[in-house]
Amino acid sequence: MIEVKHIFKKYEDTYVLNDVSAQFEQGKCNLIIGRSGSGKTVLLKSIVGLIDLDEGEIWYGNHLFSHMESRARQEIRQEMGMLFQGGALFDSLSVEENVMFPLNMLTGQSFREKLERVNFCLDRVRVSHSNRLYPSELSGGMRKRVAIARAIVLNPKYLFCDEPNSGLDPETGMVIDRLIKELTDEFQMTTIVNTHDMNSVLEIGDKVVYIHDGCKCWEGTREEVLHTDNKDLNNFVFATRLAKQIKG
Amino acid sequence: MRRTFTRPEKHTVLYTQVMREIEKVGINSIVIVLVISIFVGAVITIQTNYNIENPLLPRYLIGVTVRDSLLLEFSSTMVALLLAGKVGSSIASELGMMRVTEQIDALEVMGVNPASLLILPKIIAAMFFFPILCLLSIGMGLLGGYLTCLLADVIPPSDYIYGIQYAFYPHYITYAMTKTVVYALIITSVSSFLGYYVEGGAVEVGKSSTRAVVHSCVLIILANLVLTETLLQ
Repeated sequence: MIEVKHIFKKYEDTYVLNDVSAQFEQGKCNLIIGRSGSGKTVLLKSIVGLIDLDEGEIWYGNHLFSHMESRARQEIRQEMGMLFQGGALFDSLSVEENVMFPLNMLTGQSFREKLERVNFCLDRVRVSHSNRLYPSELSGGMRKRVAIARAIVLNPKYLFCDEPNSGLDPETGMVIDRLIKELTDEFQMTTIVNTHDMNSVLEIGDKVVYIHDGCKCWEGTREEVLHTDNKDLNNFVFATRLAKQIKG
Repeated sequence: MRRTFTRPEKHTVLYTQVMREIEKVGINSIVIVLVISIFVGAVITIQTNYNIENPLLPRYLIGVTVRDSLLLEFSSTMVALLLAGKVGSSIASELGMMRVTEQIDALEVMGVNPASLLILPKIIAAMFFFPILCLLSIGMGLLGGYLTCLLADVIPPSDYIYGIQYAFYPHYITYAMTKTVVYALIITSVSSFLGYYVEGGAVEVGKSSTRAVVHSCVLIILANLVLTETLLQ
């Protein structure tokens, strides 16, 4: 489980995160939702330690991650996998080399063992037979799948996804969402997904945390999202005219 | 800077990266260095001949001038300025693009030290290979001068050969090598720093690349002054 406690982050005079506390449970897809610029990405990057907090604590199980020194943090980071918005695949490496990269850096496995693991992960995300291709030769959806394969190659305890279906058509986006859900269930990871896509919320949101102007405004399940009386959340969820008509 | 020089995660990975960087920053620069050096050697020969009007001055002084110009200034400092443009901009834009496309963040999240993985091999490769480029430049420049004597009939080639051996101080080689190693450190560390900390998008990456060249060139000129004052006393 990951827990954030009373975290604050300020840029110049503006609070981007203002007293945010939340728990993200193991084996569940925890979604952070909110409008663009609401502070979702800052929250996610703070949780993985890419942004230093001004105040507050981040716990990974019993480890106080936010106050650890960089070497101790590295040990926890080896249990993390992250899918970035654009995939963040290394341009100069092929698909196989990209997925093998964490194994090369952090394990002492033989090439054969590494290759087996890489092929398993690529197979798992349904991108077999693309080992020799380079990121520039992949479609957006394939790039995200390869990035997921790289994120899970070390069997992480924690999976983070920053807007996994941005830039994808709804159908491909849904395939990626379902893949994340399947992997979370299969490997019992603590998954945190950052999104503003309501399809994702309704499809995979075991737990949903709504961020508005840097504050946590609401949390609940995907079923509760549809029936909440929180005005800001309703404006966000039922933003389109059609959705408003359905809501009645 | 401290993170760059911390112990790498795996020495085999460091070795592979250094080899890759030697190819990128060193081997890929050989042709341009050789082409420029041969022409500069030729031009120095012609200009020196043109400027030595006094018949009392021996003609082999042209060889001495070509050798000392290459050793003391051109093959170390001028080649370093050329490499600041070629290698410095390439390093800054490569790291800048990795930063803005979150590849550096991806390394950080994996638990890999990105500074040590990406910057240290570039510094090692440049400090190892730039002196080789400097030596190649000296050799090619001298050859350029020789070919000019041979083909353009500036002075007899035997006078030129005598000149490039006349009153040779081996310390000049040490001086040129020391300067080159310092310039390699300046080019790679300044460019890496400016690329690594880029924020924004393609425009900022372009700006960082330009800044890397400008800052490296200014620092090279300053270092040249300090090293010349220190090493040639």
